[in-house]
Parts: sequence; C-alpha cells; structure tokens
Amino acid sequence: MIEIKNLTKQYGKITAVDNISFTANKNEILGFLGPNGAGKSTTMNMIVGYLPPTSGQILIDGKSMNENPKEVKKMIGYLPELPPLYLDMKVIEYLRFVAGIKEVPKSDFEHQIARSLSRLKITDMKGRLIKNLSKGYRQRVGFAQALIGDPQVLILDEPTVGLDPNQTAEVRNLINMLRKDHTIIFSSHILQEVNAVCDRIVIIDKGHIKAVDTKENLEDASRDEIVYILKVEGDASSVESILRNEIKGIKSIIDITYSDENTSEFKLSIENEEVRKSLISVLTQKDISIIEIRKVKMSLEDVFASYTRGSDFTTINNDNIS
Amino acid sequence: MFSLYKKELQSYFFSPLAYIISALFVLIYSLSFIGWITSLTKVSLTFSFPAIFYDQFFYFIFLVPMLTMKSFAEERKSNTEVLLMSTPLNVFKIVMGKFLAIGTVFLMIMALTFIYPVITVIYGEVRWSGLICGYIGFLLWGLGCIAIGMLVSSFTENQIIAAILGEAAMMILFFIDHFSDIKWMQNKPVLSSFISSMSPKTRFVGFATGVFKLSDMVFYITFIVLILCWTMISVEKRRWNRG
Repeated sequence: MIEIKNLTKQYGKITAVDNISFTANKNEILGFLGPNGAGKSTTMNMIVGYLPPTSGQILIDGKSMNENPKEVKKMIGYLPELPPLYLDMKVIEYLRFVAGIKEVPKSDFEHQIARSLSRLKITDMKGRLIKNLSKGYRQRVGFAQALIGDPQVLILDEPTVGLDPNQTAEVRNLINMLRKDHTIIFSSHILQEVNAVCDRIVIIDKGHIKAVDTKENLEDASRDEIVYILKVEGDASSVESILRNEIKGIKSIIDITYSDENTSEFKLSIENEEVRKSLISVLTQKDISIIEIRKVKMSLEDVFASYTRGSDFTTINNDNIS
Repeated sequence: MFSLYKKELQSYFFSPLAYIISALFVLIYSLSFIGWITSLTKVSLTFSFPAIFYDQFFYFIFLVPMLTMKSFAEERKSNTEVLLMSTPLNVFKIVMGKFLAIGTVFLMIMALTFIYPVITVIYGEVRWSGLICGYIGFLLWGLGCIAIGMLVSSFTENQIIAAILGEAAMMILFFIDHFSDIKWMQNKPVLSSFISSMSPKTRFVGFATGVFKLSDMVFYITFIVLILCWTMISVEKRRWNRG
C-alpha cells in the first residue's frame, strides 16, 4: 500500500533522512518509533507530499506522489505533530472547510463530518470556537480533520501527545477500530503505545532505519541475549569507564540509572557467562563493591534503547535489520 | 479553491479587521471629499472624483498591508500550511483563492465609497465617464498593492515584518516616478523614460483625467499577474527550503 524507496531529505548540509526504504501493507498499522529528532516528522511530511524529497520515491497504492500529486493526496489523511487548526473558526466550520479543500462530494459532506465528529467524540463541541478548546480537544479536532475525505491511508504524527491517560486510551481504541479499512503509519517516541497498537515496528534514529520487524520478532531476536543488571557502590563514571575499557565481552551498556549519590545500576548485554565472572573479579580488584547482580530478560524497551543509543555499543542483531 | 476563498473571506469579517479598515478608509475618503467641497468657489463649481482617488493613493500604502500581512505569514506560523499543502489544492489555487478573497474585501470597501458620488448626484451633477475611469484605475492599483502585500507576506512568518516590508515596497513604487526626474537621470533618457513608464502613479494619471488607455490597463494587469506568479514561486520555494 505504501512503498518508500531510498528516500533521502537534505536541508542544506544536514541530512535529516538518509536513504530509507520500507513498506506498509494494506490494512496494517506500522509503528514509527524513534527518539526526538530522529527524522520521523520529516519522513511523514514527505509521505503526505508537503516536503519534496531530495531523492527517492514514495508510492501509495502503486501511484507516485511526484506524478499524480492530486490523486495521491486524496488517499491520505494527515495529522501533523502540531494540529493544523484555524483558531478563529468553530469546529464545524473548520471541518466543512477541510471537506471543501479535500474535494469531498457535496452529497457526502455532512455525513462524513458527522461521522468523524462522532468517532472522535466531539459532536458536543462542534459549535465551539477552536481557540477555546483545551489541548486534548484540539488534538481530537486535528484527528477528525485527518479522517475527512475517507482516506485509505492515515499518517498520524504523535497523535497522543498532550492527551490525558483516558483520552490516550480512547485514541488507541479509535486506531484499533480504524485498522479494519485503513493503512496507518503512526509515529511515537512512547514505546508502550507502539507496542499496544502496531503490527510492525520501524525503528529510526538519526535519519537511518535501525530495524523493521514485528514486535514479536524484535523481542525473539533478543531472547538469546544475555542481559545482567549490575548494582554497584562507588563513583558511577569510573565504574562506567572500567566497564567500557577494561572488560572484554560487553556488547553494550543498555541503560544506566543512578539510584542515589553512591549507588548506580547498569544494564549490560554480554557475550557469554564467562564475561560475568571476569566482570566480578575485575570490579572486586578495583575495590568496587557489588550490591547486586541479576539476570534479566531483554524487553522491547531494551531493544529500542540499544538501537537508538547511538554509541559504538549498538551492535545487537545486525542481521535482523532489513 | 472556492472553500479556501470562502474561509479567507470569512476570516476578515469574523474579526474586526475588515470593519476597522473599511471605516478608516471611508473616513479618509470623506475628509478628502469635504476638503474639496469646502474649497469650491463661485468661479469654479466643479471638483473631480479621480482627484480624490489620487489623494487616496498614498494612504493606500498603509491600509493594504493590514489586509495582506497575514495571508501567508499566519498560515506558516500556525502550521496550517501543512494542511493546505497536503490536500489536493495546488499552489496556484492557494494563491488565487487568497488573492480573490482580499480582492473581494477591497471591492466592498470601494463600494462603500460610492456613497459620495450618489450624494453629489442628488445635489449636483456627476461626469460618469470620468468617475468610472477613476474607479477602474483605482481598482487596478489596489489589486496591484494586494499582490505585492501577499508576495511580501510569503517571505516571512512575522506579520509585522510582512506589513512593514509591504509598506516599503509600495512606497518605492509610489515614488518611483520621482527617481526618473533626478538630475543624474537626465543624461540617461532611456533609463529615465523606462522608470517613468514603470510608475503606477504616472499610469494612474490617465485614468484620473478620464482617459482610458489600453496600454495603462495592460500595464496594471501584467504587473498583477507577474507579482502573483512570483508569490506562487515564493510559496513553492519555501516548501523546498524548509528545515
């Protein structure tokens, strides 16, 4: 349904998106996961035809955005990170305006508007001025706008930012409801969210795709990883440098948490059990006292962290990157 | 395009903007009208509407940017440009929709000034040919100003800067005929006559004196079309350079 081929975007000398390719199949929810500034919004802006790509191709339902912009744009509903609202308009006027510019046929006008109002549960708000609405409601009006024109493809850029937990759950339910007849690309930097809704996950960092797979596969691939949590007493930075420089066989430091001034917790991925032994002996030699060491299962969070940490330690499962 | 036109037009009338600007314009116009009437003497009992228009010409420089400053600057600032660009609207339709909407507001303001010729008809006589010529010329100059205002608004996302740059650009156009008169220009007759023929004010004199010349008409229309094309290029270019 959506095919992205070798897409690149450069702003002057900065490469925001570097030669990425992926596809989203029909009626699939694709999670677009990456830290802030990873190139998520830029990619989405290119898919909807707002930003022209420097090179590469975007095909929606086999049609190219360059060749048939008008036809392709009609198939897409877009909710940008900042909902594009005219604050001086009433909700209903705004939606009528959107239906007008999206060239919705007159006979279908009121029906579509009523449907997207009720899907977002904002029918009561239709007579209110947008500037008087709270952030959560504005976000929903923005979402309602994306549904107008009955697009087959929905591009949602962080749709749950600024919503309270109940509203977030409602938006997730809505996305689940829409999955029957829509192809959805959904970006987020919140992992649980992507985990809860998406069929497949694209992990992107610094303009590069780090992994494309189903969440089960991403977790499975890391099942063989040996991950330990190491809690130590002593200066965290010196412990970190010992771990990085003096012990061989540590694949990556996934996470570091500082519990208080004198204790810190390291989450490590190591090559084999032998490494654990040498780790303990080196730390004891250096007079660093180990409070706790325990083995854990690698979670999806850890997979994400190891892909996007951006240090030279990100070497997990390169064979899984497609 | 009609939806965009309608939305733009509404945005002027839902806010006090259109009302304030038209009130201000009619006020200036009536002051000028009163000025002419009170200076009538027994020797000459005539005054000319085109001359009043000619007076208004200058004030326009300050009024039009208030209408045009938000056209693109605001869309850009509130991120609604993304919405327009990701729908089947193309840049031509966006620019034309906005231009026609502001043009309509301008026409309404012009219609308000028609009250003065009507008053004059009740108490005296009006030379209709001169009046209509004056209105045509004035309309064309106004649309030209609107085009420039929109162009400048597409350069920035700050409305105040858009307004000030618009005023500056119109001021230069307004006084361009003076440049053709300066001493340095005198030994360069070709350049001087070129600049003078580019001056909208010189072109307006024809209309003001009740002479309808096709060349003047073509000048104004070409001017408007060129500036609108430039606006389209500027909007499109900004999309490419964004980042």
